[in-house]
Amino acid sequence: MSGSNGHEFWWLLTIACVAWYSTVTVYVAIRGASDIKKMLRHLAQDSSESGTTACKSADN
Amino acid sequence: MAQHPLSTLRVVAAFHASGRRRHSIYAAPLTFIEAASIPVLAQVPRPWTRLRRGTGTDARQTAMTHFSWWIDGSIVGLYLLATMVAGVMVRRYVGKVEHFLVAGREVNVYLGIASLAATEFGVITCMYTAEAGYRYGFAGATPGIITALCMMFVGLTGFCIKPLRTAGVMTIPELFEKRFGPRIRWAAGLVIVLGGLLNMGVFLRITGEFLVLVCGFNIQHLEAYVVIMMTALLLLGTIYTVVGGMLSVLVTDFLQFIVMSAGLIAVTVLILVQIGWGKLTAAVTAHYGAGGFNPFTHPDLGWQYVAFNSFLALANVLTWQTTISRVLAAKDATTARKIYTRTSFFFACRFLIPGIWGIAALAVLGPGAVAALVPGATVEKLTLYPMPIFLCRTLPVGLMGLLIAAMLAADMSSTSSYMITWATVIYNDILAPFRKTQWSEKRGLRWNRIIVSLIGVFLLIYGLWYPLKGDVWAYLGVTGTIYLASMATLLIACCYWSRANNWGAAGAIFFGALIPLSFLALQQIPATAPLVKEIGPYYSGMAAYVAAGTAMVVGSLLKSVLAPQRLAEGEPVPAAVGLSGGER
Repeated sequence: MSGSNGHEFWWLLTIACVAWYSTVTVYVAIRGASDIKKMLRHLAQDSSESGTTACKSADN
Repeated sequence: MAQHPLSTLRVVAAFHASGRRRHSIYAAPLTFIEAASIPVLAQVPRPWTRLRRGTGTDARQTAMTHFSWWIDGSIVGLYLLATMVAGVMVRRYVGKVEHFLVAGREVNVYLGIASLAATEFGVITCMYTAEAGYRYGFAGATPGIITALCMMFVGLTGFCIKPLRTAGVMTIPELFEKRFGPRIRWAAGLVIVLGGLLNMGVFLRITGEFLVLVCGFNIQHLEAYVVIMMTALLLLGTIYTVVGGMLSVLVTDFLQFIVMSAGLIAVTVLILVQIGWGKLTAAVTAHYGAGGFNPFTHPDLGWQYVAFNSFLALANVLTWQTTISRVLAAKDATTARKIYTRTSFFFACRFLIPGIWGIAALAVLGPGAVAALVPGATVEKLTLYPMPIFLCRTLPVGLMGLLIAAMLAADMSSTSSYMITWATVIYNDILAPFRKTQWSEKRGLRWNRIIVSLIGVFLLIYGLWYPLKGDVWAYLGVTGTIYLASMATLLIACCYWSRANNWGAAGAIFFGALIPLSFLALQQIPATAPLVKEIGPYYSGMAAYVAAGTAMVVGSLLKSVLAPQRLAEGEPVPAAVGLSGGER
């Protein structure tokens, strides 16, 4: 394989790492933001249902 | 006009080709005078070749760096502001202890991936993986590949993590109580915190050293700057962790994952483009031969290194509390498995990418360069410092700011996650016997915040006091083994071996912790240090895993023979612990 200098395994792994990291970062950035919104919405509902006022507990 | 650091490649490559220093860099580290007397090393840019400020001795020790306070400092400042604001803003959602410790178990796949990846990559990770690259070549990335394979296996099969999440517990010791009783839960909590805090104890110092070197602070006052940096880092991470707990950790982890990834990719691409693959492999070949690409043939590694790291990786994936806390915070067992499967390759990246940086430092600076640049550096620092010194001389303005922001992101996410994780175990398991009556949410939150703060104080003191011996990965492996050996044994037995009981569990905890703790203690005693060095961390580490497993089997069988009535009367053995509890 040209460019690998006889170390194909490490060459492929390095390229795979850079490619995987670049792709996953963009994808996770988009989907993760949506996950955070859902999580905070559920927690706000949970706090209000259990009668715990969030601001009060934060002050504690 | 000073020479660009990368232009030294030609002379360094010529030096490597001469084959004059193919021996281990530990065999005879160069002194400052020796390094200066070698013509090729004399051409490597020195701190005083580009003085930015000051004159005289102090100025000579100022590391040459491309860090610009206006441009790079602004990037770092903006990042810090955004993180702190995000971390503190989510505090209004923290109404219960469960919100503080496991974010209400509302974590979905992508937030879980970002959080796990950010937590498991700190500056410490970057330093020890780069050190492994500098010291062992590509073979130093082997632990990352093994961990990725283990993570994939556990994610695909649900081995242990499925029953663990299904049991609906907050920590692993809580699960053990269901099977082995409250005393084992307490003992498990104790070794987890002991191993975890000793492991984390060196994070701050090494992070401080990295930042001081990269930013180009005066090396002559390295220690003073490191202390200031350590304190500042700790305060930044502690503030939002105390305020928002796991919730703040998750939200800031998400931001930190993005910044960290951008920095890592940009720096790696720059290195691969500017230095080139050929020069990296040539440097590894020149210094380590075939062993630089194959851990089995490397003279300092060998089968014992691979075997120890295999034990360590599987135990780490199953029971490392910061990793498992994402499983426990996941919405359900299926989500937990998806987080594992999809994050698995990251564990190969986290070893190989900084490993490339370390190899680049080897190619550009060569061995022995740190002795010349940092007079008085201990033998451990000779392989730890080349990567930050290389980066500070190589990266252009702007990218330097992104790198430092990325590394701060990596560090803050790790520090905060680790603090909340150990605090969870202390509160949930070690303090459990002292909470005879149900504590109010208010009191529980207050105690958790106090525990996180106390952990911060411990980290500062330990980081200042503990003298690190050997390479960082070996230290982390040994301290992690204090609890990984026994907890992995207990978890596997708890989930899949119906004859396991508390005698076996107690034996596994005792022997699993005894061997690595003895190793660390004897390493510090001059009379026993040579023996410990001869045995090495890999053999002693493997012994801990084997001893823990043996103790579990022997202890459990002994109880079934010597005290069968106690087994029958008081301690019923559930067929599968995971089935005894519901999710949430």
